[in-house]
Amino acid sequence: MPDPILELDGVGKHFGGVVVLQDVSFHVARGARHALIGPNGAGKTTLFNVISGVFPPDEGTVKLNGRDLAGVPSRRRIAMGMARSFQNIRLMPHLSVVENVMLGQHARQGLLGQLKPVGLLPQARERRAALDLLDAFGLDAYPGQVVANLPYGIRKKIEVVRALMAEPELLLLDEPAAGLNPTETAALRDFLMEVSARGVTLLVVEHDMPFVNSLCEHVTVMNFGRLIYDGTAAGVREDEAVLEAYLGHRRKGATNAA
Amino acid sequence: MSGYLSGVIAILGINVIFAYGIFVTAAAGQLNLGGAGFQAIGAYGAAILSLEFGLGIWAAIAAATVIGGLIGFLIAFPILRTRGVYMVLATFAFAQVVVGIVLNSNYLGGSMGLIMSDYIETGAIIWATLGVILFVFYLMSTPMGLAMRAVHDDEPVADLMGVNNRAVQVAAFALGGAITGLSGALYAYYFGFVEVQYFNALLSIFVLLYVLIGGTQTAWGPLVGAGFFTLIPEALRMGEDWRFLIFGVLIVAMMILRPEGIVTRDAVDRIRARLSPRARDA
Amino acid sequence: MLIVQQVLNGLMLGGIYVAVAVAFTLTIGILNFLNFTIPTLFMLAGMIGWSVSFYGLPFGMSEPLGWIPSLAIGILCAIVASLIVERFTYRYFKAKHGDATEHAIPLVSSLGFLLIFEYMILIAHGSDPRGFHTPFGDLNWRVAGLVISIPQVVGLIVSLAIVAGLSVLLARSKLGRALRATAEKPDTAVLMGVEVNRIVPIVFIMTGLLCGLAGALFAVNYGEVSPFMGEQVGTKAIAGMVLGGLGSVWGAVAGGLIVGLTETFSIYFFGATSAQVTIWGLLLVILLIRPKGLFGHNAIGKGKF
Repeated sequence: MPDPILELDGVGKHFGGVVVLQDVSFHVARGARHALIGPNGAGKTTLFNVISGVFPPDEGTVKLNGRDLAGVPSRRRIAMGMARSFQNIRLMPHLSVVENVMLGQHARQGLLGQLKPVGLLPQARERRAALDLLDAFGLDAYPGQVVANLPYGIRKKIEVVRALMAEPELLLLDEPAAGLNPTETAALRDFLMEVSARGVTLLVVEHDMPFVNSLCEHVTVMNFGRLIYDGTAAGVREDEAVLEAYLGHRRKGATNAA
Repeated sequence: MSGYLSGVIAILGINVIFAYGIFVTAAAGQLNLGGAGFQAIGAYGAAILSLEFGLGIWAAIAAATVIGGLIGFLIAFPILRTRGVYMVLATFAFAQVVVGIVLNSNYLGGSMGLIMSDYIETGAIIWATLGVILFVFYLMSTPMGLAMRAVHDDEPVADLMGVNNRAVQVAAFALGGAITGLSGALYAYYFGFVEVQYFNALLSIFVLLYVLIGGTQTAWGPLVGAGFFTLIPEALRMGEDWRFLIFGVLIVAMMILRPEGIVTRDAVDRIRARLSPRARDA
Repeated sequence: MLIVQQVLNGLMLGGIYVAVAVAFTLTIGILNFLNFTIPTLFMLAGMIGWSVSFYGLPFGMSEPLGWIPSLAIGILCAIVASLIVERFTYRYFKAKHGDATEHAIPLVSSLGFLLIFEYMILIAHGSDPRGFHTPFGDLNWRVAGLVISIPQVVGLIVSLAIVAGLSVLLARSKLGRALRATAEKPDTAVLMGVEVNRIVPIVFIMTGLLCGLAGALFAVNYGEVSPFMGEQVGTKAIAGMVLGGLGSVWGAVAGGLIVGLTETFSIYFFGATSAQVTIWGLLLVILLIRPKGLFGHNAIGKGKF
C-alpha cells in the first residue's frame, strides 16, 4: 500500500490472562475512509485505545506517518496529527459548545497562547476559528450553550468538530452512528464525507453495515482479537471467515454479512 | 466608613481571597480541605519575615505569597498521588501538620501567637481583593483556564486533547497556595497578630464550603459564596453559636435547592442573555 | 514498665477511635459517602447522656436518670440523628439525581449537619466540659507495677467485640451479602433483588449505634464529656480510617489502634501538643508510600468529586 498514514504491525494486548488483541497488522492509507468492524468483544475499542495511547501494546508497533509511537505519551499524539472521538460521547459537560471546540486547539497553543484571555475577547482569533468550524458544519446555532443540554445527535457531531479543531491528519471515530436514527445517520455520513473531502483520513469503528458501506471504501474485520479480513468494502460480503464470524457457521450463498 | 463596616469589609476581602485560593484547585477538580494550613503559612510567613528579617509590609506580603505558592507546588506532588477522598483527607492532614508544627515551635510563638509590628488598613485589603478577583477572572478566560475546567470534567479526554493534566493540577495547587498565602499575610497585618487557634480544622471546612456552595463552574462562585456566608451572619446579628447553627441549616438547604452551587454556568448564561441579547453567541 | 504502660494506654485510647473509624469506613465502603456527621454523633451520645443524667429528660418528664439509662438514651439519640442525616442527605440526593455520590454534595450536606448538631448542643449546654460519673470510673487494676483502668479494658473489649461481630455479619449473613453487593455495584444489587432502599438506613443505624457506643464508652472511661469531644476524637478516627484504608473494617481497627499508640507515645516523648504533628504526619507519609492506605480496597474512595 503506497504511503500509509498509520501502520500496525503485530499488535498484541492482554489484560491479565485474557488475550484481547493478537498479532493485529494492517495499514491505513493516507486520505482513506477505512472501517474497522467486528462482533462485540472483537477488540476494536481496545485497538483504538492502543493507537491513541490510552495504554501501550504488549507486543508489536504502531507507527504514525512512519514514526514509531512507542513511548509517546497519549497527550502528545494529538499534536502529531491524530485525534479521536469516543463510543460514549465525552464532551466536557460544564463547558459551552464553543469552549469544547476550542479545547481542540490546546495541543497547538504555546505557553503564551495559553495565557491569552480568549474568554474576555469576543473577537479573539481562537474563538473565531472555533465558530467558523462549527459554522462550516452547520452547528452554528448554539455555540454559547452548555453541551449537557443539547440533543444526542448534535453532541456526536460536536465531538467530531472538537477533534477536527486539532487539525488532525488521522481521525479515529469510535461508533459514530451508534444511537442515531436513520435521518441522523444519513446526516452524519454526509458530514463525514465533507470531513474526508478536507483531506482527513478516517478510521471508523462501526456496527451499522449500511453506514459502513456507504462511507468507507476499505474494511478491516476483527474477531476474538485477531484480524480476519483486510480489503475492499465490496469483498467483505463474500469472505468466508467474516461470514462465519458474524453468523456463527458457514452458509453457502449468504451475501449479507450483517 | 464606620469602624464596624470597615471591619466587615476587611474580613469579607480576606475571606474572598481565601476562597479564590481554594477555588483555583477546585476548578481543576481537586478539593482542598487544607485551606487553614495554607493560610497559616502565609500569615506566619509574613509575621516572621517582618519580625525577624525586618521586611517592609508589602515586601513581606509578597514574599509570603511566594512562599505559599512554593509550598503548594511542593506538596502537590505527594498529594496528587492520591485520589478522591484520600486526596481530600491528605490535604486535611497537611493542614493539621502545619498547624501542629506552629503549635510546637517556640520560634513561631507556639500557642501564644505572634504580635505584628505593622498594620494595614481596610483600603489595602480592598485593592488586594480586587486584584485577586481580576486575576482569577482573567485566568479562567484563558485557554489555561479552559484546560483546568477540562481536567475537572474528564481527565482522560483532557489528556487525549493534549492537556498535560499533571502540570495543570500542580500549577493549580501552586497558584492556590500563593493566593491562600496572600490571604493569610493580609490577615496577619490587618489584625496585628497571628494565633494558631484561628487556623483550625473548621476554618478549612468553612472555606471549602464557601467555594462549593458558591459554585465551582465559574469565577463568580467564590465571590458569591464567601460574600453570602460572611455577610448573612453579620446581617442576622445573633450570638456566635446561633450564627453557626443557621450556617449549618443554610448549607443543608442550599445543597437541596442548588446542589451545583449558587452560581452555575446556566445561571450566568441566562443573566448575560438578559443583559445583552447578542452575548449569547459569545 | 513505663513503655508497657504507654502501650496499654495507647491501645485503650485506640479502642475509642476504632469504633468511630469503623463507622466512617462502613459508610464510605458501602455507600461511597464520607459522612462528616459521624464525629457529632459520637458527641451527641456523650452530651445527651450527660444531660439526661444531670437534668433528667427534657420538659420535666423525669428526674435525673442513672448512668446506664442516660447513656442508652444518648445512643438512641445518635441513631435517630443518623437517620435524619440519611433522610436529608443520602436518600434525598439519590431520589433527585439518581446518584447520591455525585460530586461532593452529600459530603457538603453532612458538614452542614455537623454544624447544626454541634451548635445545638453548644447553645443548649455551653462549651464547658462536663464530668460524667459512674460507680466504677476510678476502678483500677494494679498488676506488676502497671495501672490498668478496668472500664477502659472493658471498653476496648466491647469495641473489638462489636467490630468482630460486624465483620462476621458482613461475611456470613444475608444482610451482609446484601450490603457487600450494594457496595460493589448498587445498580446490579437492585437487579439481583437487594432492596437497597431498605439497606441504606441500616447502614446509618449501624453508624449511629457504633458512634453512640463509642461516645458512651468515652464518657465512662474518661469521666468527662464536652461539645468538642467529637472534633477531637472524630478527626483522629478519620486519620485511623485513612491509615487503614477506606472500606476495610479490619483496616479501620488497625488504623484506630495505630493512631491511639502514636498519640500516647508522642505525648510521652515529645509533650502534650506534639500528637497533632505525629498523627497527621504519619498519615501523610503512609499516603505517600501507599496512596490507598494500609489495607485499602483498590476501588473505594477514589471516585472524583
